Amino acid sequence: MQNVVERILNLLAFLLTAERPVTAHEIRTTVAGYDQSSDDAWRRMFERDKELLRNLGIPLELRATDAWEVEHGYVVPAAEYTLPDPGLTDEERAALWLAAHAVRLGGQASGPEALFKLGGAPMAAGGEPLAADLGAEAGVLAEAFSAVAEHRLIRFDYAERSREVAPYGLVHRRGHWYVVGPELSSSTVKAFRVDRAAGMKAVGAPGAFERPSGFRAGDAIPEAAWEAGPEDLEATVAFDADIAWWARRQLTGRAVVAEDDDGAIVATIPVANADAFIGWVLSFDASAEIIAPAELRDGLLTRVRAAG
Amino acid sequence: MSSPRTARRLNRILGMLPWVIANPGAKVEEVCDRFGYTKRELAADLDLVFVCGLPGYGPGDLMVAYIDDDEVVVELADYFAAPVRLTAPEALGLLAAGMALVSTGQAPGALERAVEKLQSVVLPEGEDAFVVDLSEPELVGRLRTAAGDGSVVRITHTRLAGGETTVRDIEPWSVFTTMGNWYVAAWCRLAGAERVFRIDRIRAAERTEEVFTPKTDPPPPVVRYTPSEEDARAVIRLGSRARWVVDYYPLEVLEEDASSTTVRFSASDPRVAARLLLRLGDEADLVDGKDVATALDALREEILIRYDHEE
Repeated sequence: MQNVVERILNLLAFLLTAERPVTAHEIRTTVAGYDQSSDDAWRRMFERDKELLRNLGIPLELRATDAWEVEHGYVVPAAEYTLPDPGLTDEERAALWLAAHAVRLGGQASGPEALFKLGGAPMAAGGEPLAADLGAEAGVLAEAFSAVAEHRLIRFDYAERSREVAPYGLVHRRGHWYVVGPELSSSTVKAFRVDRAAGMKAVGAPGAFERPSGFRAGDAIPEAAWEAGPEDLEATVAFDADIAWWARRQLTGRAVVAEDDDGAIVATIPVANADAFIGWVLSFDASAEIIAPAELRDGLLTRVRAAG
Repeated sequence: MSSPRTARRLNRILGMLPWVIANPGAKVEEVCDRFGYTKRELAADLDLVFVCGLPGYGPGDLMVAYIDDDEVVVELADYFAAPVRLTAPEALGLLAAGMALVSTGQAPGALERAVEKLQSVVLPEGEDAFVVDLSEPELVGRLRTAAGDGSVVRITHTRLAGGETTVRDIEPWSVFTTMGNWYVAAWCRLAGAERVFRIDRIRAAERTEEVFTPKTDPPPPVVRYTPSEEDARAVIRLGSRARWVVDYYPLEVLEEDASSTTVRFSASDPRVAARLLLRLGDEADLVDGKDVATALDALREEILIRYDHEE
């Protein structure tokens, strides 16, 4: 390992001070640690090292060494190599470190790597009796995140169709991640569940779209599953007294609730997704009943008869 | 492939060097503390830096790095004075973690400021483009505080499966959220065992005067489902539109093809499976499972009776 670390530090020092594209040949004959006898061994080694640099976040670009573009060489562009200093205080770094410990993404908490780049922090772990698992596949999410940051389009399969979306934003709410933005062919901003999108990949060049000013990604995510969809219905539902508390906890601010003397409630609820809504009402067993409209009432009964 | 250890070591060196360069006279202890080094590891990394540098590789070309008394000295390494930018997964991880805690409304001001600063360099001009919202139910804060100071809490809890309501004293260890639901992991005095409760099923929670000694090593906060002999089991075939069930329930996939997924579902109460089948309607078939079939028929009957009148 020692040899690899030394070689990479030498390579990086050379690239950062070269101020011009340097060819692979030049690297091989100049940088300490690359004096391999066979061409194959050298090429494999150099490929591995480039990969390692990129994984560390170090941008490595291939550019023409002269105007005739006969030869190409490697550059580490200084502007992209460096992290703009966010100016964190020690207290702020320590708070970030504690947060990184408490929150898992893609099955694990962030390691200290990111924090080292920000200047490190005294690493007292624990003490926070709170943990959050934000789910998601870290790789897919990172792809969406950089697309949002770089204003690149993303392509994915969703509900049996391939889509190209301008990702205005990325939101985690109620246990799910959503990419928010319009499809290329439309101007309607939609929210796509990341876990239901297959093969998500950034495509094309950065700067492919402008985010409308004042855009708030959070606004595109409905508060309840039945509020997301193309339908426009208004349901009236009766909830028995013993489960009324549980219904109230799940109703959003858009529902209107009337309470009986015995504690039972009748709620008027806007419904945009009948499927999700019926599923939700059924979670109350026989303690809730859709009173109207007939369309939803029948939908529920059809589902109940078909079950099993 | 280079090993992850190599990458981690390089990353730490490239983080430590800029900080030491920016803070001349840095104490060994502080550098160790800040970058998670033992003194020996730090010395080894400085030795390594000392033999690296620019072509020529003689004195004046190599970097200078050593420990002088209790100070870390780094010279001739100005090309490493700036820290490396964050990768997308790194930026995402830190920002998401920070925002998640800030959204609970109980984060320290320092975290709020850190998130704001970080966001301004990672997502400039995109203040509202990235949102992490844990939308905490009202009792989370109270349970979290009780877990922190070791107070016994009396909860009124309604079981999800059967609907029974009980009042119990618990010793809360931690609160956590996963898949959009909040849970409290605790020692339950009523059950005389460790339990995990979904917080939105807790109707009331009051601190008692009693305290307990917080566990030094509580079990990891995860929703555990431990199958037992008495569990109701069922084999269910899910149509493609019901495939999502696999991600939400602890079940075993028995068979999978393009149009359907066959799973074994087990739960302590057959009503859990019956309710799921009701919800799925014709998107799922019960292949096998007597208790679940009985529970489903009973549930179906109750609902049909309730709806058996004209509006």
